[in-house]
Amino acid sequence: SHHCFSLEQINGVPTHFSLISSPSLSEPLSWILIHFLGSVELLSLSATSFPLLLSRLIFLLFSLSIQEEVLARMRSPFSLKQEFLKKWILGLQRCRSSKKNMSIFERKKVIKLSADVAMASARKGTTCWSRALIAYAVKEGNADKHLAEKILGPASERQPTEKVTVGAMAYNKRIRSKKILKRSSVIRRTIKCAPQAARPSSTVKRLVGKRRQILRSLIPGGEFMNGVSLIEETLDYIISLRAQVDVMRSLASASKLVNLN
Amino acid sequence: MSGRRSGSAVSSISDDQITHLVFKLQQLIPELCARRSHKASSSKVLQETCDYIRNLHKEIEDLSDRLSQLLASIDTDNDQAAIVRSLLM
Repeated sequence: SHHCFSLEQINGVPTHFSLISSPSLSEPLSWILIHFLGSVELLSLSATSFPLLLSRLIFLLFSLSIQEEVLARMRSPFSLKQEFLKKWILGLQRCRSSKKNMSIFERKKVIKLSADVAMASARKGTTCWSRALIAYAVKEGNADKHLAEKILGPASERQPTEKVTVGAMAYNKRIRSKKILKRSSVIRRTIKCAPQAARPSSTVKRLVGKRRQILRSLIPGGEFMNGVSLIEETLDYIISLRAQVDVMRSLASASKLVNLN
Repeated sequence: MSGRRSGSAVSSISDDQITHLVFKLQQLIPELCARRSHKASSSKVLQETCDYIRNLHKEIEDLSDRLSQLLASIDTDNDQAAIVRSLLM
């Protein structure tokens, strides 16, 4: 392990934290450590502030564990998890005022919805499923519409997304798909939302039937997807779900550690 | 392949694409990962994909439950959030 923590105590009261980082750490990571260490030393430690300090440390460990893991893998999920975490926390903060008197059930709903919306929003409108998820969240008639809108924040801060309506006429679908294609060609590579060449080939036939229908029902906006786009969306959706689970699980472990103390 | 025109050319390209994508999907799913050298059948991959997605959904539900209990008892207001944000930005 790269990081060593030492805790000096005088008469059982912790007075000094040290973080020893290995020189092989990447620069941004070292910067983060030094930055955090700086704020720790400024704290005046007393017996009452120790739990707070510990929880801060836990959060540092938590974010470090994410960083280390993805640095080790050197793959793109690095920024995805960061982006997700950032947006999730922002979303949770937007619900903060009403959080004080919430029931556990309400709190769970906020946590889950803000996480789902955060992950979808982290895709920045580049995938169909993420646009569909957000569209469903704020759709008229959705019981949690107001909560979703609170989480997403003021309209000016939201990502531009194409509105996806369920059960629209096929004609409208095609027009909207064209608009999505136009927009995406200007910005960056995106995954097409329009149904692909509908003529079933011998291979595509393998993908018809009940299983394909089930898959479409599992992915947000799946009913708009077909053939190649369905599988591409599925790939992205699974990667995103895994990242979401990893971050949520890390946070749960970190929170548990705090509670035990 | 390049000599062909119209419908059949399009579908053979899609065939390869789809086969390749299905293989990528297979590599993502832990159940099928072990058999990396062999291509599992598309229907098997689809089936495992659906199961995997359902499992991931269930995990998120359970984690949200746990977090709602855990976060009830610690002060998650400004302090931690501000620190995590300052670490990320």
